[in-house]
Amino acid sequence: MADAALKEAARPSLWRDVRVLRAAGQVVFVVILVVIAREMYLNASFAIGSAGRELSYTYLDSRAGFAIKEHIVGYSANQPLYKAFLAGATNAMLVAAAGIVMATVLGVLIGVARLSPNWMVKKIALVYVEVFRNIPLLVQVIFWYVAVILAIPRIEDSVSIFGVAFVSNRGAAMPAIRSGADFGTWSLFVLAALLVAATVWRWRTRVHERTGGRHYRWLSSLAVMAVLAAAGYALLGDAFKVELPELIAHGYSGGLQISPEFAGILVALVVYTAAFIGEIVRGSILAVSKGQKEAAQALGLSPGQQLRLVVLPQAMRTAIPPINNQYLNLWKNTSLAFAVGFPDLINISTTMVNQAGHALETFSLVVGTYLGTSLLISFGMNVLNRAVTLRGGTA
Amino acid sequence: MSGAGPKGPRLGLGLSEDVDLLRFEQQARDVEAAPGPGPATPGEWIRQNLFSGPVNALLTLASGTFVLFVAYQILSFVFVSAEWEVVQVGMRGYMIGGFPVDEAWRVWASAYLVIVLAGLSYGVSARRLRPSAGQAAVGAVVVAVAGTIVFFTAQTVLVRALTAGVAPAVLAGALVGRLFGRKILRPLIVAWVLVFPAIMIVVRGFDGVPPSEWEGLFFNIVAATVGIVASFPLGLLLALGRRSELPAVRVVSVGLIELFRGVPLVAWLIFSKFVVDLVLPPQMVIPDIVKAFVAMTLFSAAYVGEIVRGGLQGVPAGQYEAARALGLSTTRMMALIVLPQALRSTIPAMISHFISLFKDTSLFVAIEVTDLLAAARRSASSLQYFGRDMETLLFAGLIFWAVAFSMSRWSQRLEVRLGVGRR
Repeated sequence: MADAALKEAARPSLWRDVRVLRAAGQVVFVVILVVIAREMYLNASFAIGSAGRELSYTYLDSRAGFAIKEHIVGYSANQPLYKAFLAGATNAMLVAAAGIVMATVLGVLIGVARLSPNWMVKKIALVYVEVFRNIPLLVQVIFWYVAVILAIPRIEDSVSIFGVAFVSNRGAAMPAIRSGADFGTWSLFVLAALLVAATVWRWRTRVHERTGGRHYRWLSSLAVMAVLAAAGYALLGDAFKVELPELIAHGYSGGLQISPEFAGILVALVVYTAAFIGEIVRGSILAVSKGQKEAAQALGLSPGQQLRLVVLPQAMRTAIPPINNQYLNLWKNTSLAFAVGFPDLINISTTMVNQAGHALETFSLVVGTYLGTSLLISFGMNVLNRAVTLRGGTA
Repeated sequence: MSGAGPKGPRLGLGLSEDVDLLRFEQQARDVEAAPGPGPATPGEWIRQNLFSGPVNALLTLASGTFVLFVAYQILSFVFVSAEWEVVQVGMRGYMIGGFPVDEAWRVWASAYLVIVLAGLSYGVSARRLRPSAGQAAVGAVVVAVAGTIVFFTAQTVLVRALTAGVAPAVLAGALVGRLFGRKILRPLIVAWVLVFPAIMIVVRGFDGVPPSEWEGLFFNIVAATVGIVASFPLGLLLALGRRSELPAVRVVSVGLIELFRGVPLVAWLIFSKFVVDLVLPPQMVIPDIVKAFVAMTLFSAAYVGEIVRGGLQGVPAGQYEAARALGLSTTRMMALIVLPQALRSTIPAMISHFISLFKDTSLFVAIEVTDLLAAARRSASSLQYFGRDMETLLFAGLIFWAVAFSMSRWSQRLEVRLGVGRR
């Protein structure tokens, strides 16, 4: 009885209770946001309504009516708009995927070179980083495209590489591998070869562990796989064929072709992002404690082995989160393709808005695609991160 | 690295990772600064650093050849095959674009304001004014290159005189700053805070020039400054919101940060042109360039928010507890204890954000603003100088680079002086 009275007396009045105030504050906050959002929505639907249109996504099914220079989704001007959007999105993703792979390779090289004992190599890497990360990416995109790629010989004077690949200011063409009629059966063959190679790998490892002799793991398993795959190719007859590009009047035909626009944006993205990745790699290598390298040295590992087996795997742990950030930047920076006319997401959606209207809907799709793909990249890096993180112990 | 821990760093849409980059660079510098035994003679130095083994010697030869090749290409272009007349003619366009010539004094006045302030600050803060031999050599090269450029591109005697006046202005500022020392530190900080509004008044006020006519390098610098200045309060709010105890505020802050950062700036700039008019009341008419500034501010605020959050996280819990123990309210605790410490540690990250914002202002090309890059491209597409892209792009790149590089150097020095990450 007395307790209850005491509690009653100690309880603050409603408008001084922190919990109540917090809840009320949040409600007010949310209400304000909702009112603003509703106001914006009403404005938009009024503006769109008075223009005789409506806010809907059905326009995506109507005929696009514009051509796209390059795409990987089998697009033509007669197809619906969503297919055009898809072509732009896949183009951007293609650039990003190629860019991420190449920028990582170059970036790691730069990062390692920054720490090379060789003074000359060290300084080259330093100059590379300081030059390319301090110039706006757009300047670099335009520079590579206009001043470098468009300045190489015209198509009539294409540079021929042994007659199987060509380079000119209309792009590059190189041999492509096209699947034949028996490709399905052959891929089963390759799968089996992979399994056999894995078995050989394990066998050689066991031999090495038992006897201490050379293991030749790479050599033997690769040889087994190559022999089996080649046997399958010979047996089946039409697994795949190599298609050589040909130089026909004012263009290439067949083979794998790379347009100057694609090359321009790709080279710029790779060179720019590699400068940043290089700095991250360098920082993470320096963050690996010195004792690790000394211990590797004491074990008699060669400098290459020290780097490959001891230092880099540990550096990777600290490098992955900031490198993830660079990958996201690279993905977003594919939007700079507008400067060279490469049909990326921004380029196509701007064309869509100019041709068919529906700005709000189109841009909501663009925002969704960028955010969704960013999440996907982060997810992939998260999986990688979990794979390399130390479990249980301290880092 | 102790930060990783057993869980490993969390990965999101790249939010927490920016802060790590700075930490890496700091660590890298720390490790490299560690003293080692120096070589005795030049010959010994060459043997140790260039020819310590067969692999190393091979690397030196290969990379040396590469350097010679690149240097030859660059030098032969710059001094032999390039025709710099296009830059000479286009110089004013690169600097201020279509800014009315009669009003150009406004730009000069603004520039001198900043230069004198910079000189004063240097004089107050520098431990010694006499440069070391290395600094003097670098300074001489910079002055020589800049002098050559000015000499060949300045159209009138007045412009030459005004550009040449930069050096004495900095020097005079530095000497005066030296004279007064730390006594004028406070007025100086106030002056830096006021310099941007002052410049806006000089440029826009008294029948000035509207933002739609700001072009060239002047635009790049002003736009980046607008982006930083306007996005700072917004970013601060987002950072505080992200760390708020109220779930609704936190969720909205995180959502806004992710949204603004997850989509490229080019997209926001283009949206601003097409979409903003739709969602605003019909009677509100805003110039395109202002809408674009707003878009850039929101984009930048998301980054500033993350930088400030990094700073907030660096403030030890003891500081909060001490403030509480003194009986400060949440607002006063934040304003008097936490934010001053948090913001101080974010200065280097803010400068590198400013640098990337400065580089990003070249993207305003997407909404037809003639910035330095666009002006450079335009001058290479005129009939007379058609195809001089290499010259104009290299020149524009050089200017962008000079600004960005010198700022990043400055930020590194500031970082050391502030002792960020070492306390």
